[in-house]
Amino acid sequence: MEPLDMSAHGAVPPASSQRSGLWRRSCQVAVIVLVATLPLSAAVPEFWISQANYIGLYTLVVFGLVLLTGVAGLTSFGQAAFVGIGAYASAYLSSVLGAPSWATLLFGLLVTGGCAYVIGAITIRMSGHYLALATIAWSLALYYLFGSVAALGKYDGLANLAHMSLFGIELRSGRAMYGLIWTCVGLCGWGLCNLLDSQPGRVMRALKHGRLLSESFGVDTVACKRLIFVLAAMLASVAGWLYVYLQRAVNPTPFGLNASLEYVIMLIVGGMANVWGAVLGAALVKVLQDQLQTLLPSLLGMAGNFELIVFGALLILLLRFAPQGAWPYLRRLVPERVPKGVVPSAPMDRRPVQPDGGALLTLSDVGKRFGGLQAVDGVSFHIAPASIVALIGPNGAGKSTTFNLITGALSASAGQIVFGKTRIDGLPARDIARLGMARTFQHVKLIPGMTVLENVALGTHLRAPSSVLRSVLRLDRGVERQRLHEAAQALKRVGLESAMHTDASSLALGQQRLVEIARALASDPMLLLLDEPAAGLRHREKQALAALLAELRAEGMTVLLVEHDMDFVMGLADRIVVMVYGKKIADGKPADIQQHPAVREAYLGSNA
Amino acid sequence: MESFAIGTALVQDGVTTGAVYALLGMATVLLFVVTRVIFLPQGEWVVFGGLTLAMLQDGKVPATIWLLAGLSVVATLLEGAAALRDREPQQLGRIALTCLGIPLALVALTVWAAHAGLPLVVQGLVATALVTAMGPLLYRIVYRPLVDASVLVLMIVSVGVHFVLNGLALLFFGVDGFRTLPFWDVQLSLGNVSLSGQSIVVVVATALLIAALWLLFERTLYGKALWASASNALGARLVGISVPFSGSVSFGIAAFLGALCGILIAPVVTLYYDSGLLIGLKGFVAAIFGGLASYPLTLAGAMLLGIFESGVSYAASAFKEAIVFLSVIPVLLWLSMRGGAHDAEE
Amino acid sequence: MKLRNKAAFALALSLAVTAAHADLTVGVSIALTGPGASLGLPARNALTLWPETIGGEKVRLVVLDDAADPTIAMKNARRFIEDKVDVIVGASNTPATIAIAQVADEGQTVQISPSPAELQPGRDKWVFRDVMHAEYYTEGILLAMKAAGVKTLAFLGLSDAYGESHLVALDKQAAAMGIKVVSVERFTRADTSVAGQALKISAARPDAVFVVAVGGGAALPQKALKGRGYRGKIYHTAASLTPDFIRLAGKDADGALVMSGPEQVAEQLPDTHPGRKRALEFVQAYEARYGAKTRTQFSAHIYDIGIMLQQVVPIALKQGKPGTVEFRAGLRDALENTGATGGIATTKGVLRYTPSDHWGYGPDARVMVTWRSGDWQISKP
Repeated sequence: MEPLDMSAHGAVPPASSQRSGLWRRSCQVAVIVLVATLPLSAAVPEFWISQANYIGLYTLVVFGLVLLTGVAGLTSFGQAAFVGIGAYASAYLSSVLGAPSWATLLFGLLVTGGCAYVIGAITIRMSGHYLALATIAWSLALYYLFGSVAALGKYDGLANLAHMSLFGIELRSGRAMYGLIWTCVGLCGWGLCNLLDSQPGRVMRALKHGRLLSESFGVDTVACKRLIFVLAAMLASVAGWLYVYLQRAVNPTPFGLNASLEYVIMLIVGGMANVWGAVLGAALVKVLQDQLQTLLPSLLGMAGNFELIVFGALLILLLRFAPQGAWPYLRRLVPERVPKGVVPSAPMDRRPVQPDGGALLTLSDVGKRFGGLQAVDGVSFHIAPASIVALIGPNGAGKSTTFNLITGALSASAGQIVFGKTRIDGLPARDIARLGMARTFQHVKLIPGMTVLENVALGTHLRAPSSVLRSVLRLDRGVERQRLHEAAQALKRVGLESAMHTDASSLALGQQRLVEIARALASDPMLLLLDEPAAGLRHREKQALAALLAELRAEGMTVLLVEHDMDFVMGLADRIVVMVYGKKIADGKPADIQQHPAVREAYLGSNA
Repeated sequence: MESFAIGTALVQDGVTTGAVYALLGMATVLLFVVTRVIFLPQGEWVVFGGLTLAMLQDGKVPATIWLLAGLSVVATLLEGAAALRDREPQQLGRIALTCLGIPLALVALTVWAAHAGLPLVVQGLVATALVTAMGPLLYRIVYRPLVDASVLVLMIVSVGVHFVLNGLALLFFGVDGFRTLPFWDVQLSLGNVSLSGQSIVVVVATALLIAALWLLFERTLYGKALWASASNALGARLVGISVPFSGSVSFGIAAFLGALCGILIAPVVTLYYDSGLLIGLKGFVAAIFGGLASYPLTLAGAMLLGIFESGVSYAASAFKEAIVFLSVIPVLLWLSMRGGAHDAEE
Repeated sequence: MKLRNKAAFALALSLAVTAAHADLTVGVSIALTGPGASLGLPARNALTLWPETIGGEKVRLVVLDDAADPTIAMKNARRFIEDKVDVIVGASNTPATIAIAQVADEGQTVQISPSPAELQPGRDKWVFRDVMHAEYYTEGILLAMKAAGVKTLAFLGLSDAYGESHLVALDKQAAAMGIKVVSVERFTRADTSVAGQALKISAARPDAVFVVAVGGGAALPQKALKGRGYRGKIYHTAASLTPDFIRLAGKDADGALVMSGPEQVAEQLPDTHPGRKRALEFVQAYEARYGAKTRTQFSAHIYDIGIMLQQVVPIALKQGKPGTVEFRAGLRDALENTGATGGIATTKGVLRYTPSDHWGYGPDARVMVTWRSGDWQISKP
């Protein structure tokens, strides 16, 4: 490929956006300074400091929920139980073995992470509301376990625990703990922002949009979800550790179902998808709770947790009228971040070209049965490298099923599929993607809320190592630049580099299909599988697409298309495979297929 | 006491609690199947039913009437505003009757009943009627506007409803626990086994209700229509089944079942304002054993749960709750896998 | 009542602003909601019987609900310390009291507890109880059992610190009295049924059952045992003596034996009983305001704390003004001196604290009563 002309990218941002960048930066600095200096002034009463401490703890838990629910779409009503595991583990080690604070943190993280791994392995495979119900179930089970184990003090818990002691300094006062707590909040928030601004973060956001999508560019979705689950649990564990040294006593009540539900309320109030919304949500809910706890009982003349009535009503109203939470309103005060230009960087490794000779893809007698329906029956064909093959047929012919069998979205009931030298039937989709296959989808699957460039960057997933740890610590900038560069190149190929920084959902359908193709190209595939790429395109766009595919073929790419549009296919494909009722009825050059009697019969009726 | 007698006593205890869980489980399944709402506050209907009866027995006007009145007024306003906006003023008459008239009549009835010294069974019916009326009104106010929301959003909304109802229960009934007088205060002896009259009442009532529900769904056109609107809302609408009406009716039935549970267990269990959550969750566990879809399985699951609980409380009382809730997880896992991993794209 | 609420509300709102108090500020943390409320609510009622001024200082009460939960109780206590209250009263259940004790110890503020909280040695420097520990009452019960010819005993008690302390006491003392513990069953405050536990106990056929539960929650084991047809003697701790227990247990309460504080049967006490005078004052004042037969243990404990403060606050005032470190230390010293200076006459008898003993009562602060014919009567074994 020719070197990309970089002058269009990385351009100097205009002056107005420089000003808004400055405004944005100064807002951030102001907030940090405010938070950092709050405890230093003696005029700030102890009460506010201790409030702020608890808000900090809750924020850490809600960070986990932002990741789990806001980003990955997994609802959990059990985060408080993980806070409990972390707290009890730290408390136990501290009181029974007298371990130092850093050791109890590590122990807590280890135990919580381990429990989350096991619980996650069982429950993460569940979908939607089953998952939510399971989180309620184990959250309750853990709460009762905390209360029944004698070593943990049962319902009375453990008391008289030691103070936090770090680097030889004992943190005895609320103000000292404030410093530690908000440092933790700052670090975790920063790490989380880094994570979301990188490839692992993009992959996590893609999880919400279905297994098929993520697996198609090589992500092990189950492992990814489990990782997110463990990360959220570990954030909760840090909160638990801090709680132990703040309260210096633990008992089961703050780790029960009600607490978990309150964290979910904080998440929704703050705004689910935004990291710093967690601080807002935790602060608003805590302050409101305290005010109501003093106000309502005296208004009503009796003691009780009446603030829950208000919270319940608030939750219902929020979900009805403002499901985005409060963050977007705050966001309006601060301008959008100007997208950074793409920086030129070294290209990523290309896949070695397969030596000539032999078909790239071979199907031998492939069949698929769904109960009583034989959707695909004894289909065999091969695809030569550097060619375009079209798979056509009337509706219900089994084209999409065959397509899904090749990409690994379905597993074959019979027959063999060989890709290069590897037999791929029975392999999961992500392993097939790793071997060099990339696909697009009949119903376009782009991630709204991410730019076109970021969507395309998803395709580069398998081309470089993607490490959560490095992303969190922001050590992945080099790889990130490479990924974005490759994505920009792929966009240039399909002619959409001008739309690089627009939100993917705001493009027209035809352009969205092109973005999907760019995403597939970004993975440097040997075989490109396109599922009805021309559907919904205008004539000009179809021409441009055909030209693109021809170019790609000239450069050595192999393409398999499923299509309905005859004109598009006839002028482009080297070979056409026709399927009817699950069987292959014809296979040959376009001109031959047009004359083929069985094909004419299938499409037009007999003797047309 | 030989182990046979202990065993039968445990089974008897288990079956009685199981019957209650079965009723709650079925209400949960009904609501989920017809409206896709995972109704966590089902236990709150139990508390409202039982404690309303306790107030009536004490000769006091139960504060529950305020909730019914409040729901009634809000629902009337919402419906009225909708009718005016759709330029259908002729609907106002119907609205006034159903959303305002019937609930307020029930309120008046309850106020009178509090001082009328009625027999126990009649008091029970009044309490049940009062709580049942709240079901459809709650649906109209909270859930109908969210009819197209995802199951998860509806579940989180239910959490909100739970908080509100729980707090209101505290406000209405205070912190004290209550027991009511049993409906049938006898202790029957069959050989070595001693049965309490109240247990028999509970089991018989449950059996009758289950039979009635089965008849409703299997034998009546209306019941089948209810089922249909659950499987396919658009299709149901196209053939003339009103989805909001189905929603109202199912919420009404669920509230009825909950209130009935409340008046059945109030003589044997001390009910507090916050007893609802745990009872509701156990009913939920039974519903999950039934796959959130099948009534006979829910019944079986509930019985199993009741007996299991009795056994565990005998053998290892400290870990009872933990074990019960842990046992749910493998069932959920199996259900989820069997139901097919339907991705978020659905 | 409303006055106290408004005072609490006003003080809570003003917690954001710290100021030196001129008044005697008492922080009270008790259970006003949840399973412990049957003890906490009467305790709050008793607060209204306290005088408006003590030792010339106006009394300012801050009453916070802890729902019997140690975490909330600890938060309440921390708030009290931050606000520099002069004395903490709390809590209405043992686990919460222990949680408060930790904070009171660090904050060096006197805590007077109406719950029998057992603390680790050295940790109760600032904590004084106005009720005796579990061993004291258990000893009384075991003596009564021995006199009644009981040889085998079952324990049906709460699984928290309250129940645990009685079980530990039982284990220590029962064998010496010739009584064998044949079955130990536990339950929690939130349980709705103890059928399984009751079944196991009645299968063991003990001569007596010792029920350790709280308030209305004691009705559950009582009814469960009677429901199983158990005909032996059922003994309770003092926490069962509440109107809620009678209301919920109904006719199953007949014959229940409670080792109680003497003030509950004030009218039946002999004239020689040192607590009779105060006990009569208490029941008359309390029941005049709240109705007949509404007396409970905890209301008496709280009333007694009022008496205690009236005696020691004037002494502490000589050390410093309310709101200062000196005053709080002076309070503690005054309390510890009561042993040497004749004690405090309360509704139960004479309370004598010393630097090494923060429990204070002698052997006449307990009496066995039984519920018969609609009232609590002193039981002659």
